[in-house]
Amino acid sequence: MENVLSIVDMHKTYPGGVHAVRGVSFDVMEGESVAIIGSSGSGKSTVLRCINRLIEPTKGEVRLRGEMINIPNADINDVRSRIGMVFQSFELFAHLRVIDNITLGLRHVRKMSRKEAEREALEVLEKVDMLDRKDAFPGNLSGGQKQRVAIARALAMKPEVMLFDEPTSALDPELIGSVLKTIRGLADEGMTMVVVTHEISFAREVADRVIYMDKGVVAESGPSSVIDSPQTERLKKFLSSISEED
Amino acid sequence: MSETTISLRNAPSEGRIYGYFILVLFSVLLVSIPAVAQEYRSGWDTVESGTNNDLFSVEATGDEIWAFGEEGIVLGSQDGGLSWSPANVITSSDLSMSDSGFGSILAASSDGTVIIKFESASQWTDISFDVGEENIRGVSLIRNDSAIAVGSNGSIWKYESETWSDYSVSGVDLLDVSFLDSERGIAVGDEGAILFSEDGGITWDYRDSPSEASSSRIIDIEFYSDIRAYAITDNGGVLKSSREISTQVGFLWNMQYFESEGGSSNLGVNLTSIEVATTNKFLLSGSGGYLSMSKDGGNIVTKQLIPVDNLTSFNDIVMIDGFNGITVGSGGTILITERSGEDEQVGFEVRDFSEFGSFVDYSKGMLIDGLFATINIVIFGIFLGFFLGITLSMMKTSPTTLKQIAEKRSLNLVRLFGALAFIIGFAFLNYLVPTVEGLGLDGWEYIYAPIGIINPGGITGDLQFENFAYLIFGVSLILLGSLFISANGEYKKSERELFGRTVSWNPWGVRPLNFIATIYTDIFRNTPLIVQFLFIHFGIQIGALIGDPAAELLEGSTGFIVTFLRDDILSNRACVSAIFALGLNSGAYQCETIRGAISAIPSGQMEAGRSIGLNYMQTMRLIIMPQAIRICIPPMGNEMVNLVLNSSLAMVIGYSELTRKAKLINAVTFQVFWSYGMVLISYFIVTWTLALILRYLENKTRIPGLGISGGS
Ligand SMILES: Nc1ncnc2c1ncn2[C@@H]1O[C@H](COP(=O)(O)OP(=O)(O)O)[C@@H](O)[C@H]1O
Ligand SMILES: [Mg+2]
Repeated sequence: MENVLSIVDMHKTYPGGVHAVRGVSFDVMEGESVAIIGSSGSGKSTVLRCINRLIEPTKGEVRLRGEMINIPNADINDVRSRIGMVFQSFELFAHLRVIDNITLGLRHVRKMSRKEAEREALEVLEKVDMLDRKDAFPGNLSGGQKQRVAIARALAMKPEVMLFDEPTSALDPELIGSVLKTIRGLADEGMTMVVVTHEISFAREVADRVIYMDKGVVAESGPSSVIDSPQTERLKKFLSSISEED
Repeated sequence: MSETTISLRNAPSEGRIYGYFILVLFSVLLVSIPAVAQEYRSGWDTVESGTNNDLFSVEATGDEIWAFGEEGIVLGSQDGGLSWSPANVITSSDLSMSDSGFGSILAASSDGTVIIKFESASQWTDISFDVGEENIRGVSLIRNDSAIAVGSNGSIWKYESETWSDYSVSGVDLLDVSFLDSERGIAVGDEGAILFSEDGGITWDYRDSPSEASSSRIIDIEFYSDIRAYAITDNGGVLKSSREISTQVGFLWNMQYFESEGGSSNLGVNLTSIEVATTNKFLLSGSGGYLSMSKDGGNIVTKQLIPVDNLTSFNDIVMIDGFNGITVGSGGTILITERSGEDEQVGFEVRDFSEFGSFVDYSKGMLIDGLFATINIVIFGIFLGFFLGITLSMMKTSPTTLKQIAEKRSLNLVRLFGALAFIIGFAFLNYLVPTVEGLGLDGWEYIYAPIGIINPGGITGDLQFENFAYLIFGVSLILLGSLFISANGEYKKSERELFGRTVSWNPWGVRPLNFIATIYTDIFRNTPLIVQFLFIHFGIQIGALIGDPAAELLEGSTGFIVTFLRDDILSNRACVSAIFALGLNSGAYQCETIRGAISAIPSGQMEAGRSIGLNYMQTMRLIIMPQAIRICIPPMGNEMVNLVLNSSLAMVIGYSELTRKAKLINAVTFQVFWSYGMVLISYFIVTWTLALILRYLENKTRIPGLGISGGS
């Protein structure tokens, strides 16, 4: 199996001095789905955002299919278009209809004609089951629908890896299911993905591998079975605190 | 959220009602302008001249007025032109030209006969001379006892110390000459010839005449003042020369295009003379009973009614002051006017403004003119301001820091660039040193140096904007250069111990585009708008600097919009200046408004855009700006209303917008309360309409779920 994404000794110190990530390394293989879990503030989002350089890591390497992408001269726009990103708060473009949200990148990054782009867009909308709302404005969609459109927007670019940053955390409980179903579908199709999530059951069932982060470092990692038999005290505590919440 | 959406759906219909309301309002306004059929009477009155000889020329000096004509006839009047008596016969030649000035008065015939009457003398003196084969065609006094005569084949003679000397140039027939003072004079002639002398008529240089006049006979020239000269061609053209920023009158000539003739440069009559009453007001005479006047430098030339038959050829006009004048013509015709010949409305001689209805009747036309003038500068000002606002706000929000620029390059390259920038910056400043020294400043006075270096020569010198550019670039390049030279690859902020405190500064964190935009907005937001108006119009003279060349560029086009731009906007210097003052100022404020809207867009939108691979500019253009513009429509509306209100300041540069019109109306009617009250209402109608349009736009462009504004 080919190594799609590889992170070596990543550090990030924010301008204010917060050392949010302190030497994180992991690899993601072709077709693998990796779940990152950990308490809030442990640096999960920071890692994801450093991967496609929405923020610059202070130190460390990020390789996409072996190619260093966190050097100043890398074609950052090309790199980003090869990495799909889904945000906690959807970040749909409020002034554009659903379909135009999706065609925007295809037309201006992939340089497709409008017709071509719309054909592609309809395809991914079908996949996330949002075809019937293609002419709605994001403001008129429910949270779950918004997130599925956001997933479609990222998918349309045909990324080599998808990054999900807590895709369901902003959703009402009854809306979470549809989004998780969509992500599970992608995993089943063999999409390479990194999912930051608080849904432990989802991590257990869908992820091939689980990474547990705490205070900016990878505290434990392994196959999804570690959730049932945690090795470290820290993960044990974290898992029990989560089940208490439920 | 769905609730908000529902209430929004209703909003547009409300806007439609307002729309109808406005339409009705304007219809009422238009219908209330009645078509008046008014009878007019000539502003000229006939005077008994006592002769049937043709009169060719007329002069006024002191209390005396003199007319000259066929067979040596000379008529004098001591009572402002009401009664005339012939002088003793001196010559029997046709006295076809004359001039007055410096207290003396001079008349001449083409055959070389010249007579002069000195200030205190009661008799005419004969100073005729032999012109040989040539003819005299024009004369001009240059002192009380000295004159220049011009004539056929480039002949130029100068009378000085009681003798005539020849200073002829080779060339075409010269037809007239006019001197402003003892030194500066202009001669004109066949084939569009224009000659200029700066030494009292001894040496002459050819000047370019406008191409439209290059094959015309320029028959009359009046070198009116330091800022204006006019000339005419016999086939109905008027040439105009104004003082430009660095060239004096007489160097650059333009053909006048007449709005009243549908933009043509030809009046379609045979002109005989031009008489300039004030800088922008002149009268023209011609054959076939033609008399006309323009009050706006030739834009609109109004033909006048005459009290005699149309066979009369008018040969010369003299204005004793701005309103009293006399014209002479064929068959001994002499006409006199007290109102520059303007037609009089019969039955409205004394206008009574004590009744509100008649006051409104009189002033509404002017107010509507003013309203359109205001709207012109407001619309163009808004466009300019909006364009600037968008550009500046994007510059202000640009995230690229010097650090990011430097980091991408190797350290050596950065240092090399630093050294280069330093050297170039130093060279720029070094170049300015003599200029700055020449300013003679001392101590704190140097804060005014930027103004001094742009215009070191004062009113007689050029504006040297390049000096300002050298200063700005010099200082910035030296600062930038020093920083880049000191680069060590870390690009960190520096900390220093100063008076026991740690001060830190972060030059690498400077965002260059933001820096430039901030300087711009700071300048425009920290100086009064009225001073900006004065500086831009009178100081920089943007109207002349940009308006004139732009108007020239559009010369010859006939399209409706182009003609409008050229004749109504660009040719009006005050208008151009006003647009720039309003636009540049408003741009600084709109920038802040738009920037506020940009920062109201969640940062996640930028990240989302970047995450699908759009670059920074694409994300700004496709995602951030479209949302920001919608958010800032309400505050922009305020900004535009402000711009309309601020446009009233254009009156200080002499632009005839609404407020200035109110002042003019008040000057005629003395109805203070009514005049300013009507203007108040007019402004309200404009700004209020604007506010309604914006409200409508706001509803139209509202996106469900974006922004929190509820109703209008
Ligand atoms: N833009 C920022 N500036 C400064 N500190 C930040 C910023 N974003 C996150 N942090 C800090 O970095 C740490 C890790 O944050 P984050 O990666 O968002 O954690 P997680 O996603 O695991 O909840 C937290 O302490 C947070 O306060
Ligand atoms: Mg997070």
